Amino acid sequence: MLKEKLNALLRIDRRWIFLGLTVVLFGAIMRPLGLINKEISKDTRNAYDFMEKLPAGSFVILSLDYDPSTAPELNPQAVAVARHAFRKNLRVGVVTYAAGATGLIEQLFAVVPAEFKKEYGRDYIIFPYQPSAVAALTQMASDLYGIYDKDKDGKDAKSMPVMLGVKNYKNISLVVCIAGTQMPTYWVQYAGDKYGVPVMAGVTAISQPGYGPYLQKKQLKGLLGGMKGAAEYEHLIDTPGKGTSGIDALSLAHVMVVGLIIVSNIAMVILKYL
Amino acid sequence: MKLIKKQIPLAIVLVFGTLTLLTYFVPHKRSVNFLETMNKWENIVAAFAFFLGLINLFYSHYTKISRKADGWGYSIFVYIGFLAIAIPAYVSHGKNMDGSVLTWMGWAFKYIYNPLSATMFAVLAFYIVSTAYKSFRIRSLQAFVLFAAAMFLILGNVPLGQMIWDKLFGWTSYAISDIVDWIMHVPAIAGKRGIMIGIAIGVVVTALKIIFGIERQYLGKD
Repeated sequence: MLKEKLNALLRIDRRWIFLGLTVVLFGAIMRPLGLINKEISKDTRNAYDFMEKLPAGSFVILSLDYDPSTAPELNPQAVAVARHAFRKNLRVGVVTYAAGATGLIEQLFAVVPAEFKKEYGRDYIIFPYQPSAVAALTQMASDLYGIYDKDKDGKDAKSMPVMLGVKNYKNISLVVCIAGTQMPTYWVQYAGDKYGVPVMAGVTAISQPGYGPYLQKKQLKGLLGGMKGAAEYEHLIDTPGKGTSGIDALSLAHVMVVGLIIVSNIAMVILKYL
Repeated sequence: MKLIKKQIPLAIVLVFGTLTLLTYFVPHKRSVNFLETMNKWENIVAAFAFFLGLINLFYSHYTKISRKADGWGYSIFVYIGFLAIAIPAYVSHGKNMDGSVLTWMGWAFKYIYNPLSATMFAVLAFYIVSTAYKSFRIRSLQAFVLFAAAMFLILGNVPLGQMIWDKLFGWTSYAISDIVDWIMHVPAIAGKRGIMIGIAIGVVVTALKIIFGIERQYLGKD
């Protein structure tokens, strides 16, 4: 009898699991538990500290290379980093090498700069999408305007006040690459290692472990990992956003996975000795 | 014919591959100018590659529809999806926003592309959870090590997991974040670094083989 029940439990229709996860996620989103992320990871702290120490007026590149598929994890990171940059009165240049990111960037920068009364062309600039990242990154080493002579609307970039004194990597204080692709690796290889530009990154939780070697050798100054990284950064800048509100759903889904794995393995062990 | 199909492409790859490689080590003005020209060419060629990919995509789905192959109905949505984004993009001159107002393209991006793309990715979470339940069986020592590492990372990455750890194992002197840090910074990095070095050596060897004409698959069959 018990054996049959355990076998049935192990062979449960996967749609029940889908339903369970739906209920868990829906519940957490509709009625957040308000769980507080007590521990700030070292990599997020390093990222925050590095930007915090930049003098006002420094030129920072935001390379936003994610499309809507990874936006729930990465957009809160981008919002938090942009808020921090504007709060520190840094000048921001936005680039992208992901075609699907252009719409997200425009939506983000239609909202965030206004919170800090920042003006397009004076405090920040959005460059157009470029299909070849390696070509753009190599070109920026000698003359940024060789590839970014115009902004996203086709206006002359060089004459904008935000670009004053910016010609190549020597004039760029930091690159923050938030990406669902391999772009942080390209920034490290083509800008960080070769020209000494400080690089930090924001990536999805699943790709976070892959950047460990770059962090260990300080090739990346800091790293935000997934929604947790976004929530941590929001905590550090003291502005809760979608990272903080999404962490409840993430918590419950993670614990559900752990619970399911434990239950299935206990059932398997019992079956073995029955 | 052999000259056009084989020898000229091989000569182009040899000359430009070698010169581009040298620019990395030669910080001369002429070297920089050459690299800048190559960058512009690369960007233009990459843009044409998109166009070529689009034609290929349309052609393969057209073939599927005309032959009524399995799942041919889905192929129609390739054209519908393309038009749903391409027409608004053309009408809006490629702009997502007009001031603070969404253009047609912005609307299509926000209300068509955005939710569809996010949904596709979100579905993965459901399959991961059900697969974890149905397939993750600890039948060997290796599987147990994988399980233990996964448990620590999962619990350490979310506040609820940290709370559970503190309740159950708070009496030990180890915080879950210490264990996660050790896993991420010792065994994970060791494994990842080995993979990265292996890939890098492979890339160098493959690049040299292509430059010197030993690897010729990119030229096609004839």
